[in-house]
Amino acid sequence: MRLGRYDVTLEPRTTRPAFYSALTAVGAILLALALASVLFLSAQTPLLDAYRAIFSYAFFNPNGLLATIHRSIYLLLCTYAFLVPLRAGLWNIGLPGQVYAGGIAAFAIPFVFRTQESQTLSLPPVFLILLMVASAAAAGAVVGGFAGVLRARFQVNEILVTMMLNSILFWLVAYMIKEGGPFMSPRGEGESFALPPPLHAPLLWGVPFTAVLALGAAVFLDILFAKTPLGYRIRAFGQNPAAARYGGIIPLALSLFVFLLGGGFAGLAGYHYFAALPGVYKISGNYGYFGDLSFYGIISALIARGSSLGAVPIAVLFAGLSLGARFAQGQLRLPFGVDYALLGLLMMTFVASHVLYQFRVAWRRVPSPTLRPAPTQLPPG
Amino acid sequence: MPKTLHLPPADPILVARALTKRFPGVLALDHVDVEFQEREIHAILGQNGAGKTTLMNILFGLVQPDEGALFLRGQQVEFRSPHDALAHGIGMVHQTRRLVSAHTVLENIVLGHPRVRGFLNLRSVAPEVEGLCNKYGFTVDLAARVWQLPEGERQWVEILKALYRGAQVLILDEPTSALTPPEVKTLLAGLQALVRDQGVTILLVTHKLPIVLAASHRVTVLRSGKVVARVRTGEATEEMLVRHMIGRDIVARTGKRSIEAGPPLLQVDHLSVVNDKGQPALQDVSFSLREGEILGVAGVTGNGQDELAQVLAGLRDAVSGTVRFKDRDVTRLSPLARWRMGMGYVPAERVEVASIAAFSLVENTALNYHFDPAFARRGLLDDAGLEQLTRNIISCYEVKTPTARTRAQHLSGGNLQKLILGRVLSRKPRLLIAHLPTQGLDVEAAAFVRAALLDAKADGAAILLISEDLDEILSLADWVAPIYEGRFGGVLPRAEADIETIGAMMAGLSAKEVRAQ
Repeated sequence: MRLGRYDVTLEPRTTRPAFYSALTAVGAILLALALASVLFLSAQTPLLDAYRAIFSYAFFNPNGLLATIHRSIYLLLCTYAFLVPLRAGLWNIGLPGQVYAGGIAAFAIPFVFRTQESQTLSLPPVFLILLMVASAAAAGAVVGGFAGVLRARFQVNEILVTMMLNSILFWLVAYMIKEGGPFMSPRGEGESFALPPPLHAPLLWGVPFTAVLALGAAVFLDILFAKTPLGYRIRAFGQNPAAARYGGIIPLALSLFVFLLGGGFAGLAGYHYFAALPGVYKISGNYGYFGDLSFYGIISALIARGSSLGAVPIAVLFAGLSLGARFAQGQLRLPFGVDYALLGLLMMTFVASHVLYQFRVAWRRVPSPTLRPAPTQLPPG
Repeated sequence: MPKTLHLPPADPILVARALTKRFPGVLALDHVDVEFQEREIHAILGQNGAGKTTLMNILFGLVQPDEGALFLRGQQVEFRSPHDALAHGIGMVHQTRRLVSAHTVLENIVLGHPRVRGFLNLRSVAPEVEGLCNKYGFTVDLAARVWQLPEGERQWVEILKALYRGAQVLILDEPTSALTPPEVKTLLAGLQALVRDQGVTILLVTHKLPIVLAASHRVTVLRSGKVVARVRTGEATEEMLVRHMIGRDIVARTGKRSIEAGPPLLQVDHLSVVNDKGQPALQDVSFSLREGEILGVAGVTGNGQDELAQVLAGLRDAVSGTVRFKDRDVTRLSPLARWRMGMGYVPAERVEVASIAAFSLVENTALNYHFDPAFARRGLLDDAGLEQLTRNIISCYEVKTPTARTRAQHLSGGNLQKLILGRVLSRKPRLLIAHLPTQGLDVEAAAFVRAALLDAKADGAAILLISEDLDEILSLADWVAPIYEGRFGGVLPRAEADIETIGAMMAGLSAKEVRAQ
């Protein structure tokens, strides 16, 4: 583009300092909020009231803050479930299915040990809780690993497989909890039996212990990818599978591993939402909503550019804004879907900021066109 | 000395004046003046990174210069895009083919033509394209699918495509890089006819001296973004052009030929392999290789060389036959196990297979080291150790790069190849499979790579050198095996391998037939 005597172009950045990365993220958030004001104005809501309602509920109201934390943990675990295979160049779209599998597997433990009748509870609850966590992670891993094997062994597209598994597991949950299914609540309300209180996940400062898992995993994954040989292999495979194979990496083992690990995280997310959230402790009839929510893990992994540490603030932001906007919607009688619209705007500005972040705007003086052609001469000899 | 040109007698059609182009950290072109006469083949010669590509991209409107101007037939022009350049009669044929291989020749030629908008009526344009073919003496089946054509004919499709758009000036970027020697001959003859009979001007961008000397009228030599010489080809010699290109003489190194019969390190027996389509690619190949020996596999690309390199590296399964390395049957061993046993592999595909573009040089070094216990510290990769190793490779192998943390995608082909070779050789392999190790490299880098191979040989490594360059094979190898359609024509000692014999065997004649002639 030409402006007067200057040529303005977008040029790729050769260096990308982390500071700018954070700055562009903040810029994207502010821009999304600014764009959202159009929504509020169109509903004739005072802007300040709308933003105050969203943020005060999400981050300052005790109930809202707790809900934000709970949802952040869930989104973070879902983020890892997508992020780990993504680093190997594979797309795990099966988060809901793996979440459901984790939920079913977690509830299978008390079901098998007949603990829903509290008088038969004989094993130590801590042992049973650990078993539930392990079982949820394993079930998510198996569902994910299934797609991983098909991908690695038979070149079946992992996106299709994981998508179809979502549907299968959705209906499996329905079978388990509804219409006389094995996990059906004794009162038969289209939801699962409630966990007996001893099996409720222990709370640390009022927050389920899964928070420790979610934050610990951020550090663990960051070290895994940045420092370990295994993480190196995953990244190499993700960047260039042919080069990875040349480097001695076994595609089958690696594809399977990332899907097992990713699926395991999604399974934990299932455990978290159905078996660790205060006030829930059951697979509720609207479990499909939480399945859909898991897709925000994909967005937050992509926005964090595959960084597990970077995903933490993004997941918290998504969780807070989705809850805050839903609250504001009820309180200020905003139109339906304001929370989705806000998240959508946020996604768009994040993606746009990524593009801009790769480039810088360069100003150059246009050279004056006064040169005349002068014949170039042959050198003597 | 005469200041005017005798040949060709014409005015400058295209003049570049004081062209300067800066890229972040690089001065790609530094006040370059070039002048192209009408009806000439003008070679732009230079090493990788000399600025050839930038110059040509400016002439074709892909890149805008920071300073300087272009003049077409005396009028100043400004190309904001290739579209502008084409509108002014300047066409370009890129080094890599830009054809839709599933489409026919005709479809490819008319594709994207400004006149073809909306409905594509192939029947109406066919006679026109046919007429063009006849005019230029070009015989290709317009209905043929591009994937069915040999590389040489695809090149002509690209040239025809440019001519169909009315190009009077044709820029050809390394046009011979993918062609076999006979195809090169045909191409050069065709280009000369275009210039002579049709008045087309051709800019030949290359780093291949024989091509320049055989086909061009004049040469402009670029080095580090500057014009260092403008000469008439008739007055040029190979030595002189080399000196201009690299700024000094190349000291050719030849290894001492020390064939001391050691035990065979690599023993290949009746090896057969199929390609990706399941067709036989390598059939009943047998040979053995001792320490300190180089076996040169000579052949035109596509005769089973890829599969040979891959099967030896463990990246492709053998259908039958055995590979023994260090007295052990390794036929079914994984690549990793082979690397650990002391095999090294320099693939032909530097960018696609041998490196990871988005990774730093340190991370690329790790590609051959991530499994090495010497570079693991308490379960973590020894990043500092790898960086040190990478720096050593960078200095020993004269890799030109800002830092060891630069991404591999910012390296030129020659520097990337030096890094890959250095990385593989730093593991001190006992057997090195080097596939097209100097392909696409400039004279200096190629000489460096060859010297490194000879050093490895002197250290006792056995080398399987797969190359298309007969001169390279004859200057390095102790044994020569011509390969044709997946079979070795024989394994000849260097002394018995002269260029005619090998050439004939590469074309499918057996040793017996060659001798009978």
